[in-house]
Amino acid sequence: MTYRVQFEKELEDLKIDLIKMGDEVISNIKDGLKSFLTMDGELAQATIKKDKIVNDYEIIIEKKCLQIILKEQPVAKDLRLITAVLKMITDLERIGDHAADISKMTIFMQENTKPYTVKQMALMTEASQKMIKKALDSFVTRNLELAYEVINDDDEVDEYFLQVKKIVAQAIRNNEIDADYALYLMMVAKYLERISDHAVNIGEWVVFSILGEHKHDVIF
Amino acid sequence: MKQFVEGAFSIENLTLFYGNKLALNDINIDIHNKQVTALIGPSGCGKSTFLRTLNRMNDLIPNCKVDGSIYYGEENIYSQESDVIDLRRRIGMVFQKPNPFPMSIYENVAYGLKCQGIKDKNILQAAVKKALVDAALYEEVKDRLKESALSLSGGQQQRLCIARAIAMSPDVILMDEPTSALDPIATAKIEELITELKKDYTIIIVTHNMQQALRISDYTAFFLMGEIIEYGKTSELFSHPKNPKTEDYITGRFG
Ligand SMILES: Nc1ncnc2c1ncn2[C@@H]1O[C@H](COP(=O)(O)OP(=O)(O)OP(=O)(O)O)[C@@H](O)[C@H]1O
Ligand SMILES: [Mg+2]
Repeated sequence: MTYRVQFEKELEDLKIDLIKMGDEVISNIKDGLKSFLTMDGELAQATIKKDKIVNDYEIIIEKKCLQIILKEQPVAKDLRLITAVLKMITDLERIGDHAADISKMTIFMQENTKPYTVKQMALMTEASQKMIKKALDSFVTRNLELAYEVINDDDEVDEYFLQVKKIVAQAIRNNEIDADYALYLMMVAKYLERISDHAVNIGEWVVFSILGEHKHDVIF
Repeated sequence: MKQFVEGAFSIENLTLFYGNKLALNDINIDIHNKQVTALIGPSGCGKSTFLRTLNRMNDLIPNCKVDGSIYYGEENIYSQESDVIDLRRRIGMVFQKPNPFPMSIYENVAYGLKCQGIKDKNILQAAVKKALVDAALYEEVKDRLKESALSLSGGQQQRLCIARAIAMSPDVILMDEPTSALDPIATAKIEELITELKKDYTIIIVTHNMQQALRISDYTAFFLMGEIIEYGKTSELFSHPKNPKTEDYITGRFG
């Protein structure tokens, strides 16, 4: 039996909003990369436009968090939860920006830019999407192990990034890759690598929400 | 061997019955000298009862039976030799509802001193002034000391009661929900005062306001059905409570 039915409901709503925001972000990464790989300018435009939804979620969730702090004066685990949400949405919003950044690379490409396939790009995208999903799942289910997994998964993405760099460098030396395309591809790879860094940040806030520790420092 | 600290309490196996109703069950805690200790817990859990054991105010309640010991410094205040009158001078109390005596502001503060036999007008005046200054009330009442204390606002009355307690130069001030009837500004003044008083006094305060406990107290004890469930540093108790019952209570999910 709980006395704060409304409060509980507000916290649940917050988690649902966060998951929805995460779903939008994940879908934008997927579409952004697809637009790049298929050189689909329209899809890129649409993806950039959809980033507004992500930004709106950030504001909605921020407002809700502040209202809860104001009305409910949360302490202990409740305060950790709300603080974690406020921090995580900043990272999610930045991930959203990077999905839009990737789409912009598609738009910058000229009609005559010749694509070059690097299979690690798709793998990298998949891995970073999974990290975000896992991070948010670990938050909602308060699963510490899963959160630590996300933090470690970053190595995999970093490894893909190095592989992409190597392959592109080789292709440049062999004159197999269009110079512009090589640059765009590396930028996209870097954005994906940054995305996984933000997923790690989210994982770290999940750890905080459970333990009160952030990067091994007890902060609350 | 126990290390006794002047002005601190050491409570051992304290049990209290009202008739055959168990109101406090085997309380064992040490209360720190010159710190603020907050007592929290749901209504009827025994906070006020516990507070009253510390200056033996429960002695005044018929069929109240106390067991165990409360050391105040080295003295067991429930031993035969303990002087209750002197104890209550050293351990003052402020109640939930401001209860000024129906006399002038000045007389309210001077009353206890006069009862102690102090007659010298200059000494009395100086002591009253000091108490009013310490209670952060002097500036507001210095021109109306002869007026009835009942003409003061609730917040001023409460600070007058604090001045009355301070005038007796106690070592400890017990406060039972001292701000529950006050507006946010009067509350803030009392809280500021408590933080100020802590330099000279040990303060034990009952409060239903979690944020108040967080703002002013160094230690917090969580009571539940006559028992202390958790006792520790306030910052710890409100961030990482050890007992799930404490967490349920402070986060408002106690059921
Ligand atoms: N004089 C009394 N005679 C009999 N029972 C009493 C007496 N005073 C208190 N009690 C009982 O002892 C228990 C503890 O009461 P107490 O007043 O200490 O609670 P409390 O924690 O201060 O509650 P509140 O937050 O409502 O002030 C309650 O069940 C109460 O009914
Ligand atoms: Mg009470």
